[in-house]
Amino acid sequence: MVKSISLTLAALLLSICLFVFTERYLDDRFGKFYDAVDTLYEKTEQGKANAEDAEAVRTLWATERSRLHVFIPHNDITYVDHRLNTALSYIYTENYSDALANLEVVLQMAKTLPGNYKMSIENIF
Amino acid sequence: MALIFIRTAIIFITLLVVMRLMGKSQIGEMQPFEFIITLLIAELACIPMADSTIPLLYGIVAIVAIFILHQIVWLLNMWVRPMKAVISGRPSLVITREGIDEYQLRKNNLDVSDLIESMRAAGYFNIDDVYYGLYEANGSFSALAREQKTDSLAVTLIDSGRLNAHNLATCGIARGTLDGFLKEQGTKIKKVLVMTVDGNGRVYLQIRGKPYKILKIEAEKRW
Repeated sequence: MVKSISLTLAALLLSICLFVFTERYLDDRFGKFYDAVDTLYEKTEQGKANAEDAEAVRTLWATERSRLHVFIPHNDITYVDHRLNTALSYIYTENYSDALANLEVVLQMAKTLPGNYKMSIENIF
Repeated sequence: MALIFIRTAIIFITLLVVMRLMGKSQIGEMQPFEFIITLLIAELACIPMADSTIPLLYGIVAIVAIFILHQIVWLLNMWVRPMKAVISGRPSLVITREGIDEYQLRKNNLDVSDLIESMRAAGYFNIDDVYYGLYEANGSFSALAREQKTDSLAVTLIDSGRLNAHNLATCGIARGTLDGFLKEQGTKIKKVLVMTVDGNGRVYLQIRGKPYKILKIEAEKRW
């Protein structure tokens, strides 16, 4: 009996810790990614973005995504991949207006994706 | 992650309520919550395993949620007696010394043919082979058997007011004979809850709302 109760409480406690950690981790990682993309967006807007800036964002995302796969559905990561790669390819070819459109989408995804996994009525149902 | 936990809990509770409402016919020798766990665990383990777009952690969290819910239900069953009846249900006495209790059968979404089938599976081939018969909370059938069982297979002629013409022919009883027999008992087919006849012409007749009677009927065939 005591063993069962202890086991249940331990499982409950571990689960709660995991929930809190996941929420914070996603906020933190997507926050960092958002800031990097935002910086690139500003540079692109001014026509100053170059291949080096694009590569820096790509490297950052590559590091983050390998860990994010543990916590969020892989399809969501693929959507970000697709839009980011499109935006970066436009930066390489100095097509800034198309790059901005795609970066805007990436920014929105970085802002809204963590919210999709948070506790809220609309997410539960 | 908390989202997966809450969603799993909601599905678990919904299934538990539905299984309880479905009665004993749907359970099959398991407590309702055990049945639900069996039902859910297989899917929860399978989906993240087969679908590589879903993180494995989602399946693990859902399974851990099921484990925690199982433990909570188990503890409630142990500590809070009234909760045991709510979660697992109570045994239902469906055969008494007066015969079949139709109300209890209906309450568990069962009918007379289900009862007769359960009795046969438990080794009783005549309704009056038992003093008492009950469905346990897990849906299995238990009975207090009479000292002496009948030695012939009973065939159902009327079940919940419906005549089984095939069985009537099998027994070699003419429709007119049956109608005359029922008339003698002051009843009609529609008012009969159950009427069975065995190979010796021994009849078990229970009219709705009345105790059963053991009677004799002339049958052309013996089996």
